[in-house]
Amino acid sequence: MSKPGLLIAVIDDDDSFRVAMEGLLRSMGYRTLAFSSAETFLASPEGERADCILSDIQMPGMSGIELKQRLDEQHRRAPVIMVTARTEPTIRQQAIESGAACLLRKPFEMQTLVDCLGRVLLH
Amino acid sequence: MDFLARHDDLIDLVHESIIVHSADGLILAWNSASEALYGWSKGEAVGKTLEDIFGPVGETKTRPLRDQLRAEGRGHIEMCRRTRDGATRLVEITWAGGGLDGSAGEIVETGRDVTESRAAGDALRKSEHRYRNLFQAMAASFWELDFSPVGELLYLKKKSGLVDNFERYFAENPGFVRELMRETRVVDVNDQTVTLFGRGDKAEMLGTVEPFWPETSTHIYAAAVLSAIGGKLNYSAQTMLRTIEGREFPALFTACYPPDTFNKGTLLVGVIDMSREIEAQRRAAQMQSDMAHAARVSMLGELAASIAHEVNQPLAAISANAEAGLRWLDRDIPDLREVKALTSRIAADSRRAASIIGRIRAMASGSKVESVPVSMNDMISDAAIFLRSEIQKRDVRVSLSLSSGLPMLLGDKVQLQQVIVNLAMNALQAMGGDQSARRVLVLRTRSIESRVVLEVEDNGPGIHPDHLATLFDSFFTTRPDGMGMGLAIARSIVQGAGGTIVAENREGGGARFTVSLPAI
Repeated sequence: MSKPGLLIAVIDDDDSFRVAMEGLLRSMGYRTLAFSSAETFLASPEGERADCILSDIQMPGMSGIELKQRLDEQHRRAPVIMVTARTEPTIRQQAIESGAACLLRKPFEMQTLVDCLGRVLLH
Repeated sequence: MDFLARHDDLIDLVHESIIVHSADGLILAWNSASEALYGWSKGEAVGKTLEDIFGPVGETKTRPLRDQLRAEGRGHIEMCRRTRDGATRLVEITWAGGGLDGSAGEIVETGRDVTESRAAGDALRKSEHRYRNLFQAMAASFWELDFSPVGELLYLKKKSGLVDNFERYFAENPGFVRELMRETRVVDVNDQTVTLFGRGDKAEMLGTVEPFWPETSTHIYAAAVLSAIGGKLNYSAQTMLRTIEGREFPALFTACYPPDTFNKGTLLVGVIDMSREIEAQRRAAQMQSDMAHAARVSMLGELAASIAHEVNQPLAAISANAEAGLRWLDRDIPDLREVKALTSRIAADSRRAASIIGRIRAMASGSKVESVPVSMNDMISDAAIFLRSEIQKRDVRVSLSLSSGLPMLLGDKVQLQQVIVNLAMNALQAMGGDQSARRVLVLRTRSIESRVVLEVEDNGPGIHPDHLATLFDSFFTTRPDGMGMGLAIARSIVQGAGGTIVAENREGGGARFTVSLPAI
């Protein structure tokens, strides 16, 4: 259910994952933008054009959760998919409460990502 | 009276007491020395008998004297005599028959007061006896050695001009040192030596010292010789020695060279068996290593979430790359350029994951403590594997101030990393409660003189003054779930590497832990 041409912003301080994620999204037919921090994403004019945001939760500086709060304050509507390598059970709760569209754990199943993107980008 | 007139002057000149008497003891002549010795004057003594003057003397005392006189014409005895003022003197007496001019039946007696010299001799004998008893009875192994052949050998070597520096000569010629051992004779040993080194037969111990020195201890013997010829009074060292049956054991060897005995070529050696001490040290070190290991495993348990975080990153990247690869290959025209790029990334991420796992395994291992050159800065970078996630989780800013060109130090990498992680975790936890201020963790390294210094600083609440003194003691903890071993073990690790660890409060607030280790 992927719509070609959709722009997805990938935000993650881990270089390997960020580059790999970009490659994966492109192989699925999406266009991508990549940022190594939430701050650089917020400061970027191109970032505003993203149809969807895929963001790591735990990063040095602003976290993914804080980013979602900041986006809400700015009334930016792009759905945020949160990704995390952390394993604590409370993370899921925090992500849901912040309004994330879904939470993916690293490493995640391909199908989970496809389902998540499908659901999010149906609107 | 003719006799007296003839010989009186003469016998007065003699320093020893001379008494001339008949076979029955009638005193015919008495010189001045006799008066000095016994107290009676010539006038008082002449004409009296020996018994009159000295009192009755038992037959048993004089019989051997008379027997000797009859047999050989001379007799010699030591006897106690009473002086005029009632004192008793020990006198060495000789009797010669034939009088002063061959008159049969007259006996010339000389007397020498040996009271003092006998007492001195007795004292000397007693002292020797006491020494012998001590020598025998001491719980340590004692040896009396004859060093004179060695002295000669060294003298000849020096005289030959071939050697100017014995220290270097010994180091370069261990065979020569062994020869010196073969020239060092065992004069006497005590019972403990036979027990410790021998098999119950003292006689077989009285050869040379060579059998008792393992090859690897030759340099210690050489050092002892150098000490002796260098005029030192003693030398001691811990080394391995050998029983007569060849079993090696750790020993404290001490040699002493008191000048008056040394000049006669005598050397005294004491040996104390250190086997029990060495074994105790080994067990203590093993226990310390086990405890450090247990603490590491416990720390890894606490850091499990952070570790999982670190490992999941490369795994997630590999997984995303692989899925992408399948998609690129599934197209009508597979995009091989992309596949090649991502395959290369997969390889890199796999190596990264393996390296993280490797370091975690090293932390969890109970391997023997090593002492190898390590870099403080590298260890801090490696420790970041365990700390990064914790730091991000708590939203702490880390300030790394790592001096470049830091000298290496000698230590166990895993254990020292454990200390770094421990101190950093303590700092992070200390700052945990504070939501207001900007939390900063400082890790600073520098070299000061010949030491490598690590400072771990936080701006938490600092250490309570009451706790400063006992901070590093076992079981000290301020955490309800803590076991309180972390800092105690950290200190034992640092001290084991020859360093020190100190805690203090910073001027601006917060705590500072300073680890100082010797550089190589």
